[in-house]
Amino acid sequence: MTAEINVQHIGKSFKGFTALDDVSFSVQKGEIFGFLGPSGSGKTTLIKILTAQLDHNKGKASVFGIPVHEMKRADHKSRFGLLTDNSGLYKRLSVEENLSLYKDLYKLPDHAIDEALAFVNLRDARKKKVSKLSKGMIQRVTLARALMHKPELLFLDEPTSALDPGNTHHIYKGLRKLNEMGTTIFLTTHDMAEAETLCNRVAFLHEGKIKAIGTPSELRLRHSDQSMVVELTSGEQHTLPLNELTTAGKLEEWMRNQLIQRIWSNEPTLGDIFMEITGRDLR
Amino acid sequence: MNVSVKRMRAIFIKDYKEFSRNYAISTMVLMPLFLAFFYQSAGASTLDIYFLPINMTFAAVTTFIQACLIAEEKENNTLRSLMMSPASMTDILIGKSALVFSITLAVVALTMIILGFTPANLLILISALMISTVFYIGLGIICGLFTKTVMEASVAILPVMVIFSLGPLGRGLAETYPVLEVLKWLPSAQLIMLEEYSAAGQTSDVGIALAVITVWTIITLAVASILFKKRMKDE
Repeated sequence: MTAEINVQHIGKSFKGFTALDDVSFSVQKGEIFGFLGPSGSGKTTLIKILTAQLDHNKGKASVFGIPVHEMKRADHKSRFGLLTDNSGLYKRLSVEENLSLYKDLYKLPDHAIDEALAFVNLRDARKKKVSKLSKGMIQRVTLARALMHKPELLFLDEPTSALDPGNTHHIYKGLRKLNEMGTTIFLTTHDMAEAETLCNRVAFLHEGKIKAIGTPSELRLRHSDQSMVVELTSGEQHTLPLNELTTAGKLEEWMRNQLIQRIWSNEPTLGDIFMEITGRDLR
Repeated sequence: MNVSVKRMRAIFIKDYKEFSRNYAISTMVLMPLFLAFFYQSAGASTLDIYFLPINMTFAAVTTFIQACLIAEEKENNTLRSLMMSPASMTDILIGKSALVFSITLAVVALTMIILGFTPANLLILISALMISTVFYIGLGIICGLFTKTVMEASVAILPVMVIFSLGPLGRGLAETYPVLEVLKWLPSAQLIMLEEYSAAGQTSDVGIALAVITVWTIITLAVASILFKKRMKDE
């Protein structure tokens, strides 16, 4: 597989404050890669570096194999889409007028607007002025704008932070479909459920450093206490170590007597792992 | 140089829609017209008076509107979104200037009609007015890029308005205060002098006045471009 994003020992500091410190990772073509970290951990700084909005002090970074400082060239800019917390929409214009501007800037056919609006479930709001939209609707229009040109790579900075569960589900479905069609997705979030639902791989960023990286199941396994919980029909719960003969013996006995109600492995969530590694939660 | 007419047109249309719905800014075009009506009814007859509403148009319409359009884009973070699109710096700057350029030429033409002003050589004056328009647009871009909000831009523009629209009047005081001689090098003063030379048939002086305005324009555009490139990145 080709690395769509390649970051080697990137460092960035602002007037003595270290935002990113020796960050290295790569994102393969077709992946959905999640950067998890609390606010101020350096997630947005990294997206800005990768999209040539900010220079880094140390290390090397490339997108599509092109050094990031060259990403501001028009032909490279049309290869990626970007959604940030600042919508960058024109409030006096309607949803359609906003998208129409970007349709022309990306030189897309007229039906691109319809497709993008359908993707974010906003066809009915096309004539509405942006100033009249809710925060969640604005986020959906911004997302529509980011993916209207069907980019090879999509940078999403907290893509569902202002959305209700129904629309979040709709967006997840759409992002997965987009990914199946070949779009690589790089997203930052502090929502562990979002990362678990969407991402093939995740990295934990804390105080500018990558603390862990891997697939959600790899991380869960790595930080699991290797135990399982058995709930009996009486409601009693037993935590048993995995791969030990005593566990097998007990299980055999309970099964013989048909006492088992439920069994599950005692795996931590991504949030638990983050807490274990950094000593703080993701919010 | 990467230039796309389609992208420039898209930005122009967007700006037109925004401008027509923003009455705080769009009503500014009426100011020089009112001034022209006032001077016409007061019996304006000298070049200094004819050019007062014209130079006012450049400062209060061209520079002010351009600065506000840019500052508003910055304030709402839409400028960064434009910069992140495939539109090049040239597409954005020309697209964003086209509306103000057209409005300026229309208002200046109306002002001249209201004042009943007939230039000595229409072609030369039109050339000078067009170059001046580009200069004041550049000045507006600089003001807009330097400030963070529309409010800040509308304050930052005040000294520009005073210096460039009223500056030429200071030439009259140059005999008493020689330091004011410097005001004759302002593009607004050169515009009046160009018309004086044109009426007197002093072709070489017309060329010098046109060259001075052009130099101002080139410097302003260079500064605006450097500033724009800096604004494409965070610091």
